[in-house]
Amino acid sequence: MTATAARKHDEADEPNAEAHGHGRAPHKPTPAGWVARGLFMAFVAWLVLLFPLSRDVSDLRIFGLAAIYAIIGLSLNVLLGYTGQISLGHQAFVGIGAFASAYMVSVQKQPFFLAVGVAMLVGMFQALVLGGVALRVRGLYFALITLSYGIMAEGTLFQIEKFTGGSAGQEAPLPSGFESPHRYYYLCLLFLAAVIFVDWRLMKTKGGRALLALRENPRVAATLGINVKLYTLAAFVIAGAFAGLGGALFAHNSEFVVSNSFEFRLALIFVIMTTVGGLRSRTGVVVGSAFFALLAFLIEHEYTFPVVGWHFNVESWLQKLPGPDLTAEIAPLVLGPALLLLTLIQYPGGIGQQLRPLTGWLRGGRFDIHDRGEKEVVVADVRA
Amino acid sequence: MDTLLERRALISAAVTVFIVILLFVFNLQRALVLGAIGGAAYGFMALGLVLVYKSSGVFNFAQGEFGTVAVFALWGATSNDIPYPLAILLALVAAVVTGLVTERIVIRPLFDAPRVTLLVATAGVALLAIGLEFWFGEPKLRAVEPALGRLGRFKLFGAAVADQEILLIVVLLGLGILLALFFNRTNLGLAILGASQEPTATELVGISVRRLSSFTWALSALLGGLAGVLAVPIAKTFGPGVMTSGYLIPGFTAAVLGGMTSLPGAFVGGTIVGVAQAVAVTAPAMEDVPGQSALAVFVLLLLVLVIRPQGLLGKSA
Repeated sequence: MTATAARKHDEADEPNAEAHGHGRAPHKPTPAGWVARGLFMAFVAWLVLLFPLSRDVSDLRIFGLAAIYAIIGLSLNVLLGYTGQISLGHQAFVGIGAFASAYMVSVQKQPFFLAVGVAMLVGMFQALVLGGVALRVRGLYFALITLSYGIMAEGTLFQIEKFTGGSAGQEAPLPSGFESPHRYYYLCLLFLAAVIFVDWRLMKTKGGRALLALRENPRVAATLGINVKLYTLAAFVIAGAFAGLGGALFAHNSEFVVSNSFEFRLALIFVIMTTVGGLRSRTGVVVGSAFFALLAFLIEHEYTFPVVGWHFNVESWLQKLPGPDLTAEIAPLVLGPALLLLTLIQYPGGIGQQLRPLTGWLRGGRFDIHDRGEKEVVVADVRA
Repeated sequence: MDTLLERRALISAAVTVFIVILLFVFNLQRALVLGAIGGAAYGFMALGLVLVYKSSGVFNFAQGEFGTVAVFALWGATSNDIPYPLAILLALVAAVVTGLVTERIVIRPLFDAPRVTLLVATAGVALLAIGLEFWFGEPKLRAVEPALGRLGRFKLFGAAVADQEILLIVVLLGLGILLALFFNRTNLGLAILGASQEPTATELVGISVRRLSSFTWALSALLGGLAGVLAVPIAKTFGPGVMTSGYLIPGFTAAVLGGMTSLPGAFVGGTIVGVAQAVAVTAPAMEDVPGQSALAVFVLLLLVLVIRPQGLLGKSA
């Protein structure tokens, strides 16, 4: 059963394989169809690559944060999506990566790329140690122990003055060669692309298929000779490396790290953005994470359409709601969890599943509004 | 069965005696009193968590927010000059309604979903509640009066005990005994236990598992609400998300410590967590370590899961 499920997942990546069933020739788009797809891709590329050039510095930091959140989302996706383990202490992993990198650059005067490497190693190391203990117990207890670890890190680890600068915080200058936030934004994008590539390749290996199998049913996986603990620990270590990288980029993006940027609330935002994005869907997780990083910005922003002369602002709409003003600061606190609950109850595949008609079309399939991609396999009995 | 019970009682007695002796040896009796008081609130949280876990296997991260909703209702009622007993009643009703709504809208559609999904869902409920509190309540501290205002009725090992704290412990013990009777003596209690062990068989003998689920969530929300209205006024002020930030994690640790399915375990666990925190805060050796109480909770949790994953009073899985 697990083997077929793993194969199914492989097929779902190919165009037409799942959605159009048997007996029908695969859809071949016309040249005009390819042009339309190309134009759409060009629009996305413009939005991500060229549009930010025209914005000013403060906006670029937010866009950089979107790329960083996407890296963190992918890190959490490795755990939550691939192994089915939930980390509620991811803010500590990100925070420790941030402080490690800031410490290497500002105190040890090491180059930026070495600092990023150290942050990733530190992330892997703490995942190895914590995972070694916590993975003795699976499921819900794992969630609890990461949660407790995160809160402990916030109060104790991040207060070690030598390492984090205590309550004063630690400086984390932009790396040389990337001093302008515009350049740094592209660096973040580059790292995001690297993470997506590594994640994609890793999931195609034997280990990746083993992870998929053990998420669905650890017992069956174990009988097939998969070392459940080892693979789960390996996934945790990879997640730790990605989180460390995200943390390092996070530190230099804001040029300053203080311990209270890594509150427990952040861990929950990470879980929300990954789940709403759609577990096991790289596109979904990246879009979902970026959406949550940009949420306050999107609400505050004054949208103008120069040709038709429209302009609107979401915040002014929200303030028409009954009750006290729903400001751009508070709105994400209400909208985020509401979206999470909506995703869990109504659309378990998240944004990734909603985008499936579009991604299927871009790969050369028909635009099928009912395309839901791979079937969700619900295993009712994973009670821990 | 008897030998198992005896063994469990022996274990808890031995642990208690050991801890008490240790505290006297290191001259930390004051921590014992402070810890027992603080631990009562955690025990309350743990009781609600154990109840839901026992009946549906869910780690309920919304348990803290049931309490916060009650505290907000209490604050709203008392600042509108509603008499205190009535205000408490309103607060508890608010908590129960929140619990029922959560069960109906979030838990029931996800009845067959993986447990981790349900955990994320209850965390979502908690976050939504906190978000709404920020929206309608603004991020500021409010003051709420305790039911019994007198402070320092007597001193125990140099720690002053307030009336409200005595009230908290008395209500907790009373409820604990009532719950134990409820689960062992009444049909409804036995039905809940049955549904948790064999849902299909329970349905077969004509018991509606879904209706039982509503009842358990209402009951655990009531416990959460009681924890809120009794414990929060001791600290006098509160802000949005107060119960989640201050009580939920120690409550979970207490529940895990007690074995996650054991009601007496929840009490014992709560007290141990409370004492560990109080020791960490008051012990001279820990003075220079920041965030001692969260550290104590983390270390305790690690130790339990490494040494005795089934908890002090839990059955081995």
